[in-house]
Amino acid sequence: MINRRTLLTAVAGTGALMAAPSVLRAQGAGSGPIRIGALNPVTGSGSPYGSGMQKMILAAAEAVNAAGGAAGRPIEITAEDTQTNPQAGVLAAKKLIEANKVQAILGTWSSGVSLAVIPLCNDAGIPLFHCSGAPALSTPPANAKGLGFRFQATNGRFGRAFAEICVKEGFKRPATMAFNNASGIGNTEGFRQAWEAKGGKVVESVVYEPNQASYRSELMKVLAAQPDVIVTGSYLADTTILLREWFQSGQPVRWIIPGWAANPDLIKALGPEVTEDIISVDSVSNEGSPAYAQFDAAYQKAMNQPGSANVYAAMTWDMVNVLALAIEAAGSSDMSAVVPKLREVGNPPGTVVSSFAEGKAALKNGKINYDGASSVLDFDQYGDVTPDFGAYFITGGKLERRYIVKI
Amino acid sequence: MSLVYARHIALFYAQLIVNGLVQGLIVGLAALAVTLVFGVARFANAATGDTMTFGAYAALIGQKATGSLVVAGGAAVGATALLSLTVYALVFRKLAGRSVVALLVTSIGVGFLLRAALGIIFGHNQQLFTVPLVRPIRFNGLIINPFDLQLAAVAAVALVGVFLVLYATPIGRRMRAVADNRELALVSGIRPERVMIALWMLVGAVTGVAGMMLGMKTVVSPELGWEMLLPAFAAAILGGIGSPAGAVIAGLLLGVVQELSTPFVGFTYKLSISFVVLLLVLLVRPRGLFGRLEGVR
Repeated sequence: MINRRTLLTAVAGTGALMAAPSVLRAQGAGSGPIRIGALNPVTGSGSPYGSGMQKMILAAAEAVNAAGGAAGRPIEITAEDTQTNPQAGVLAAKKLIEANKVQAILGTWSSGVSLAVIPLCNDAGIPLFHCSGAPALSTPPANAKGLGFRFQATNGRFGRAFAEICVKEGFKRPATMAFNNASGIGNTEGFRQAWEAKGGKVVESVVYEPNQASYRSELMKVLAAQPDVIVTGSYLADTTILLREWFQSGQPVRWIIPGWAANPDLIKALGPEVTEDIISVDSVSNEGSPAYAQFDAAYQKAMNQPGSANVYAAMTWDMVNVLALAIEAAGSSDMSAVVPKLREVGNPPGTVVSSFAEGKAALKNGKINYDGASSVLDFDQYGDVTPDFGAYFITGGKLERRYIVKI
Repeated sequence: MSLVYARHIALFYAQLIVNGLVQGLIVGLAALAVTLVFGVARFANAATGDTMTFGAYAALIGQKATGSLVVAGGAAVGATALLSLTVYALVFRKLAGRSVVALLVTSIGVGFLLRAALGIIFGHNQQLFTVPLVRPIRFNGLIINPFDLQLAAVAAVALVGVFLVLYATPIGRRMRAVADNRELALVSGIRPERVMIALWMLVGAVTGVAGMMLGMKTVVSPELGWEMLLPAFAAAILGGIGSPAGAVIAGLLLGVVQELSTPFVGFTYKLSISFVVLLLVLLVRPRGLFGRLEGVR
């Protein structure tokens, strides 16, 4: 049945397509474009990253279309904003799935949003590519159908990176402090498992509640165990209060803190004296790779900033490429055929490729292995990747990257 | 050996009590603001938390402009008293005589509005007071932060100030009369409007101080006071709603009980322990620790 509204939408849609640059229009196969949803945190607390992420989805899609499209069809992106808010994210995802009929949703950022959106994708049978850390996104019920693919390190892997840095820095008596939520405890639990696997012992662990006026008793308990380093799973506000109270306690100890908490805002809040020698750990892009060079150029062009300013934008760049390669390998945009191909084109063995065009050509001769801008992009059984990590030391009020940790 | 061990254990618990007193002071100051509003206007003002946040930002601006914490304190007291008065004039005065529920729901709305406005004006990034970091005083092995002593002094001054206004000034006597029985006060020739103005300004001043102290102890963000509202309500109820001294003492008590419970229940559950205490006290003594029966003076 055609009513007036669907007719109007169809007319408007055709008009938009005609007005779009020629690369957006169907080439080759003659069937319509493959619709993909870009669902990024353009506003809200993810806003420093969101618009860069969205622009890289558009830029990567443009590159795919310039190379003749995936399985002979162009990719058409519909962009929505999650507002870094699960309610808004779900509304936007519903619109993308039901009204825009997208075949995949790319680029959700905060764990809360990804956890809220993934059931919709499961129902629709389409994949969700995200940049969230929560371990719950790896397993059922969230990832019951194996449609969730994570382009960021899990909190558990952050913990493994912390353990590597502990070894490298010669720490012997680590203690942990974690904010009581999935992310905070995920970090310190990941650390504990990795550290104990190396034969080490964690001398004290404290899980604390948010929104306390003081964390003195918590600190007292941890410091009583005489640790040489405290590893945290924390956020900016609680880290600020913790470090201020620790400094006033006068007991020397080193800190290893995730990058989203130990950042320039923390240094600004506490000053160089308190923050000196803190080790901040963050995932880093696959900086030496040819894929990164292409991403960096696209990011410079779109955002007038180096690609290193936004690790998540490198992830969304890879999302489009690996999806397009899987569609190409499957020869169709039917997601039940495409999803099994994601690991095939992303993981070894196969010819190493770093762009869609290169991969499309190499697919004619056999298997390929896409190495991305954000990481080497090898998905494990849960659909998770393992990026590299940077160990940044705060020196004189500046974050200085000393080395890269591979886990 | 065993004597050394006993001393060690005693010191450990003594330190927990000190930590609890510090936590409790903050809660107590916030509870003082809550309980005053209740004593004055006879409803639970859910905007108290966000009014505190306003006070913290006012103090921040004062400190950034002059570098002085005294000026910051003055700014917090002045601006928050003014805000409190404005809210009374524009909102609560119009609702006088309505049900307690109507006032409560309205105050929730006022709180939302304030929080949103602060978020738009100052953004959601955290801000900090520039307070010099000082090493603690060690007293017989106990670690005491000089800033916490100042905090205790401020709480004491706020409390004494409230008492002086309520019990040593003519306007205070009229306030108590209106709070007690509005009709009777009217008949005796007290002009309630003037009394309410004084009351809301006093409430605002205390709320401003509470907000500034909370902000100095933690980090200032638009959610600052809102997150303190529940513990503050708990302390106000425990202390006997409407009792200024009760609020501060109950805050201290809750803080100490919380910290002392941590060796047994851990840090995650210490909050629930303070609510168990609240529940037990109210079961045994429904009017709270220092509350009096309505109408008796």
